[in-house]
Amino acid sequence: MCAARPGQEPAERADPDLDTLLTHVAKGDQAAFEALYDRLASSAYGLIRKVLRNPSQAEEVTQEVLLEVWRTASRFDPARGSAASWVLTIAHRRAIDRVRAEEAATAREQRAADVPVAVDEVAESVEATMDAERLRRCLDGLSELQRESITLAYYGGYTYAQVAALLETALGTIKTRIRDGLTRLRDCLGVS
Amino acid sequence: MRFRRRDLHALAGAYALDALDDAERDRFERHLRRCQACQHEVRGFAATASALGLAAAAEPPAGLRERVLAAATVTRQLPPVTATPRWRRALGGSRMSAAGTTRTFGMIPKIATGVAAASLAAVVALTVVTINTNNSLNAERARSQAVAAVLAAPDARIVSGPTTAGGVATVVASHRAGQIVFTSSGLRVLPSSQVYELWFLGPGSARPAGLVPVAVRGSTAPVLASGLKTGDSVGVTVEPAGGTSAPTTTPIVVLEVPV
Repeated sequence: MCAARPGQEPAERADPDLDTLLTHVAKGDQAAFEALYDRLASSAYGLIRKVLRNPSQAEEVTQEVLLEVWRTASRFDPARGSAASWVLTIAHRRAIDRVRAEEAATAREQRAADVPVAVDEVAESVEATMDAERLRRCLDGLSELQRESITLAYYGGYTYAQVAALLETALGTIKTRIRDGLTRLRDCLGVS
Repeated sequence: MRFRRRDLHALAGAYALDALDDAERDRFERHLRRCQACQHEVRGFAATASALGLAAAAEPPAGLRERVLAAATVTRQLPPVTATPRWRRALGGSRMSAAGTTRTFGMIPKIATGVAAASLAAVVALTVVTINTNNSLNAERARSQAVAAVLAAPDARIVSGPTTAGGVATVVASHRAGQIVFTSSGLRVLPSSQVYELWFLGPGSARPAGLVPVAVRGSTAPVLASGLKTGDSVGVTVEPAGGTSAPTTTPIVVLEVPV
């Protein structure tokens, strides 16, 4: 992936060092782990906080994620994706795990009420940098339903069935809009 | 819930966004193992999703860096995946059965996938135990397991600070487990007639919490101690070799354990 490089964040493919760093981390290299932290912690934390909203929960989950990165670094395979993508995939999965676990216990009203904010915040944070500008353009290139489906699922932490209910749209439609939207986004961003 | 294959394939997008419920995710992952086109598509979607993730970057809270790095120093890393992972099959029957997909689709380490964060400790423990049954069980591994359990405890708190003997002492504490893990780096090397001893320091009492092993390359191996009570601090003193039942010197460091 060669897109969306907000601020101090490293690029992905454009910066093979990050992959190398992670392979050093797998061998127990503390210094490499520190360097990896400095380059990916803000991405992981930002994403987790966006999904969870609650900063202290986000901090907790971020810590778990980064420790998991340390613990499972040997499972990273550069042939299957970049280090940044690997870390963010774990971060998102853990944030979602937390959301689902809490859903079992908590009513959804509050989160549902927050939905419009979620969508606005995307645009807001995306405006932050030059590279993100490209992501924004690509997001703008999606149909409204595609964009909403993707951002609600990814940033909002909703299942596609919940997205369908929120948008009062048929399940099958949301499923295909997410896939079509991601395809268009992928091609626009030039992700291999 | 029955899906035709074509419908399953259409779930690739939602899967890459973690937007499937548990049953669908399991089903899709089984399909994914056999479907190369899906693997390729999911990989591209996951990278695309990461672009959305990177755009959300935000400054993490102060102190997180130190806690994460300190926790890493006392966390054992998983070995790389080698030949047929028999112990993985032993994990089958739960969500862990998806572990097989790690080989076909490597974006996510599936060992802990889908397990709520709070139960990470159980997964760590389970992994260690099943490895142990394949290799010979030894005290070192059992200790690692216990240490990992404290580190992954949902209520785990980390505190660290400099000592008057140089270096830094770090304590990871779980009140629920009543345990701490102590580690340090850069402490002054003691003559063989002396030892660093750990204490639980409660109101008006000091309870021995174990001896700190001799440092290797400047760092001491994690010490696991049980018997933590609410309100305890953790202190370290220099004592005669073999330790004592009550501190005889001024602590080189006292760390207040956050509740």
